[in-house]
Amino acid sequence: VSCDSNDRKPGFEYMPNMYESVPYDTYGEYDIFQTVTGGSEAMKPAEGSVMRGWLPYEIEDNQDGYAFAKANLTNPLPYTEENLAKGTELYNIYCGICHGNKGDGQGTLAKREKILGVPAYNDAGRAITEGSVYHVMYYGINSMGSYASQMTEEELWQVNHYVMSLKDALDKKEP
Amino acid sequence: MMAHYEAPIRRPLVTGDKTYHDVTLDVVAPVEGRANKHWWIVFGIALTAFLWGIGCIIYTITNGIGSWGLNKTVNWAWDITNFVWWVGIGHAGTLISAVLLLFRQKWRMAINRSAEAMTIFSVVQAGLFPIIHMGRPWLAYWVLPIPNQFGSLWVNFNSPLLWDVFAISTYLSVSLVFWWTGLLPDFAMIRDRAVKPFQKKIYSLLSFGWSGRAKDWQRFEEVSLVLAGLATPLVLSVHTIVSFDFATSVIPGWHTTIFPPYFVAGAVFSGFAMVNTLLIVMRKVSNLEAYITIQHIELMNIVIMITGSIVGVAYITELFMAWYSGVEYEQYAFLNRATGPYAWSYWAMMTCNVFSPQFMWFPKLRRSIMFSFFISIVVNIGMWFERFVIIVTSLHRDYLPSSWSMFSPTFVDIGIFIGTIGFFFVLFLLYARTFPVIAQAEVKTIMKSSGERYKKLRESGQSLVGSGADPRTSGGPVKINLDGHYQAAQAEVVSDEPMIPEDTHGNDVLINSLGAFDAATQKADDLQKVNGIGPKMEEKLNQLGIYTFAQVARMTKADYDLLDSITGSFPGRAERDDWAGQAATLNNN
Repeated sequence: VSCDSNDRKPGFEYMPNMYESVPYDTYGEYDIFQTVTGGSEAMKPAEGSVMRGWLPYEIEDNQDGYAFAKANLTNPLPYTEENLAKGTELYNIYCGICHGNKGDGQGTLAKREKILGVPAYNDAGRAITEGSVYHVMYYGINSMGSYASQMTEEELWQVNHYVMSLKDALDKKEP
Repeated sequence: MMAHYEAPIRRPLVTGDKTYHDVTLDVVAPVEGRANKHWWIVFGIALTAFLWGIGCIIYTITNGIGSWGLNKTVNWAWDITNFVWWVGIGHAGTLISAVLLLFRQKWRMAINRSAEAMTIFSVVQAGLFPIIHMGRPWLAYWVLPIPNQFGSLWVNFNSPLLWDVFAISTYLSVSLVFWWTGLLPDFAMIRDRAVKPFQKKIYSLLSFGWSGRAKDWQRFEEVSLVLAGLATPLVLSVHTIVSFDFATSVIPGWHTTIFPPYFVAGAVFSGFAMVNTLLIVMRKVSNLEAYITIQHIELMNIVIMITGSIVGVAYITELFMAWYSGVEYEQYAFLNRATGPYAWSYWAMMTCNVFSPQFMWFPKLRRSIMFSFFISIVVNIGMWFERFVIIVTSLHRDYLPSSWSMFSPTFVDIGIFIGTIGFFFVLFLLYARTFPVIAQAEVKTIMKSSGERYKKLRESGQSLVGSGADPRTSGGPVKINLDGHYQAAQAEVVSDEPMIPEDTHGNDVLINSLGAFDAATQKADDLQKVNGIGPKMEEKLNQLGIYTFAQVARMTKADYDLLDSITGSFPGRAERDDWAGQAATLNNN
């Protein structure tokens, strides 16, 4: 803003010696990536490659996979104060807006009728389990999108703990 | 009035039969005259070197410091060598004007103006190097503690390089003020003599309305003395700070406590050598031999000899301390200087700085102009090598043998140095043609005590009363005859002199050579505008048929003599005042 009264443009710079990056910036736009990504620096990793410290989620994104996860998948994280606290924090950021901070389906967006048909966690017909919650968070279901790009696996499982604790609270059941 | 007493052993500082008016004329001659061909040639050479240097500086700044011969080990070489060299040269000016003023040395008066000019011009050269040797000189303003948007990010006051900034800038400003203050009465003198309106305007501006009242002079003296008192510690501290650049480091060969006084002595040494070099040329070129006498040169040579010996003692001290210290790095540093790959520069330095000033012990040599000119140049070469040796030989081999390297300059290093020499001479040559190169106001204060003319009068037992009067300025026919009698002012009046005899033999000859005046077609000029032509003389000239500047401008030596023989008044006056030259100028306006 200084040195330039036009606030629609960035101001003038005096000798911008190291203002512009020499290396490729994350999300930067470069001609060299034009043919691959249309200019963005963010190229996809090769199909099937496995990063250190990460394993692919083997269960497939379909009804069978959902049923399999619901039946067999359990939370690998211990149920601790720490994990629960972290899960609370993440839940209130990513989930509460629709599902409600109590998990009763009365989130802000639901109350304002921006989104309809958000079920409570104790919805009997759904009977969510740790595995189904994880599967849904990973792939999304119906109107809900995937949260795998927002949270790491560990974070998903931390939120999972909290979701299950909310369900228990709605069921009036001690965990 | 009792004659002023001065020991007869003192030789005159102004030689020749010089009156006060002669001092004025001699000092203003280069300013009022035109530059000759030689001046233009030398100026052209200096300007070319300067422009070449500018080219090299631009090349450095646009292409980077890598265009110099520096490397990762030797990261200071010609840049800082030249910086210290120029700063050192600058020190003699202040030494001459300030220190010698404090010691009441009258001989400084003929040389202080040029020495101060030299100070200023060489500090300007020195000031270039700290900027251009920066990797990013456009951020040089970051060395100043200015409140800013980086959370008011400040400079670190622990670095001698920052002290350099303050030292050099203070030194330049104080020197400039000191110099300019001294110039005021001299600019006023030129202003008062100026004939052309443009020059009158310029020198009126430069002289700040100096009118030379008693109160002005009293304060002038006080200010000079106070500034001299301030400039003296400044001189010592500035080069001390410059020496701290090295002395405060941990480099063997640099980390020494002797540097501050030793650098200052070296600065005075090289500065005086430069003053000597310049003044030996200037006295000849500007016809100032009567003011810058052999005695001045001899005294400068003595200062060079003394400071050269101090430098010599410092060299020996360094060598002794290296041996005495038992620090093998220190010992190797000096062994490397004397026998390493740069031994040639060490021995060049030793030869030029330690041996050459010792010739000045011989009166015959130190009174020889040619010899002192030669030695002064040798000294400056030696002092350049001193800085080079200190900087490069200490850096190129120090603690880790794996970091040992060599240094050789590129043409850009050399070009910038040549450029600063060119710039220096450009400034100095312009100065010599536009500024009063001798502090005439000061020289006039010592005329009666140290002028040859007055010393002789005194020695012959005559009174000096009225001896300052000059027929050219006082209006009366004052004659001071060294051999015999002295005629007081107002003894005769011009109107008593006979008018021009009607039929003197030379009248027609004179008119024939100057051209006749035709009252019908031409207009008579006011001849009294020519300095030295009064109402009476104008009348006489008119009687001869001389009415215009054009006629006067044609006068030659023969005509002057003829005129003298016809008018019979003030022989030689027309020639001394250069009536023809003045008239030519007036005619062109």
